[in-house]
Amino acid sequence: MRFFAVLLSLAICAAAPAGAEENGERLFAPCRACHSLDPAERGLPGPNLAGVIGRGIGGDTAFDYSPVLRKARDDGLRWDVQRLNSFLADPAEMFPGLWMSMRGVEDAAERQALVRFLADPASR
Amino acid sequence: MNRRQFLTSTTAAVLLATPALLRGAAAQESPFRVKYYPVAAGMGSRDVAPAPDGMIWFCGQRNGTLGRLDPQDGTFKLIDLGKGAAPHGVVIGPDGAPWVTEGGQNAIARVDPADHKVTLFRLPEKEAYANLNTGVFDKSGIFWFTGQSGIYGRLDPKSGDMTVFKAPRGRGTYGMTITPKGDVWYASLAGNHIARIDLASGNAKVVEPPTPNQGARRVWSDSKGRLWVSEWNSGNVSMHDPADGSWKAWKLPGDNPRTYSVYVDDKDKVWLTDFSANAIVRFDPLTEKFNAFPSDKAGANVRQMNGRPGEAWGGESGTNRLVVIQTVAPA
Repeated sequence: MRFFAVLLSLAICAAAPAGAEENGERLFAPCRACHSLDPAERGLPGPNLAGVIGRGIGGDTAFDYSPVLRKARDDGLRWDVQRLNSFLADPAEMFPGLWMSMRGVEDAAERQALVRFLADPASR
Repeated sequence: MNRRQFLTSTTAAVLLATPALLRGAAAQESPFRVKYYPVAAGMGSRDVAPAPDGMIWFCGQRNGTLGRLDPQDGTFKLIDLGKGAAPHGVVIGPDGAPWVTEGGQNAIARVDPADHKVTLFRLPEKEAYANLNTGVFDKSGIFWFTGQSGIYGRLDPKSGDMTVFKAPRGRGTYGMTITPKGDVWYASLAGNHIARIDLASGNAKVVEPPTPNQGARRVWSDSKGRLWVSEWNSGNVSMHDPADGSWKAWKLPGDNPRTYSVYVDDKDKVWLTDFSANAIVRFDPLTEKFNAFPSDKAGANVRQMNGRPGEAWGGESGTNRLVVIQTVAPA
């Protein structure tokens, strides 16, 4: 499963246009109002996103998730690159009633850059 | 001029619903009527603003539009705010127009109420990722706004001059309010405080609620200038009186409440939304009792409320509806 996720990650990265790597950090800037990639930083309005790829949905044990994400966790769903990419296209479409509120990232290249930024610490 | 798209619906339905009680809440003390107005699917209808002409303006964060509902017949129109728009908050300005904190284009947007022309006031390039949140007009007509990334700012609508300030404790700047005497306050969700902005200098003075890590998300003034705060993390509604520095707090009813928004009506009744209970909750400061109005659909997620005499309005972002609770006057 992890191998599959890595393959997907590579495929997405290969499709990303030049400059997309730096766009990942830029695209993540508004998310920092609620989320951190520093595993030691806790207590923010959103769950910690360090190591999110491969983690179960609703997998930050210190965070109180929306009912729809608790259900996804109970159903055993996990974050992989493909699912995160689909999620970021329209989060409320994948998980109706989600407490987080944002417009999805419609541009595929930007979305892939953001996913790569979240998936690969070396890209940061 | 911004690209605009004007959409009209003539098929919106108005539903009637009966408010129900939430476990732990008191029996209702006066009659209320709840109405739901379906709007466009997938739009994420959220912050609302009643206009002087009776219309209700509302943000479609998911489809980048500003909507205008006619409550008389339930019809609505959507105005496209531009490519990538993601409007969060809307207030009515002294000019009668809706003013929008438009996070997608990192701009303050004014929509002309007559011809629906959209005018954008973009933030400076160095504040490109403000994550714009909420706005309020002060008594001199200056538009103040927050950006959740940790900024607040002022815009002079006449000159277009804009100044952006760094919030004293960084990210989290969220809801805003103005008191009857004209003070402007904001709440910081990630910063766990409220703050008053000195309108002359632009400096913000932090005031901390007594509950640690409470998650102060939104703030609203009552007629006496007391500040009501929705505390997301603690599930409290708290009240701060700047006149004497005092605080009081009340836990919302039910298990693990999550207090998202607060609005104080013209009778100084306090309207809250609780995401855990999927309900709008009314708090009477005189009796210290709660009335709850659970939505008739799951995952309603009302993120902000506003109103006018006898009506409290909200946007169900999770169901793409607007909701109004009317307080029925005694015969």
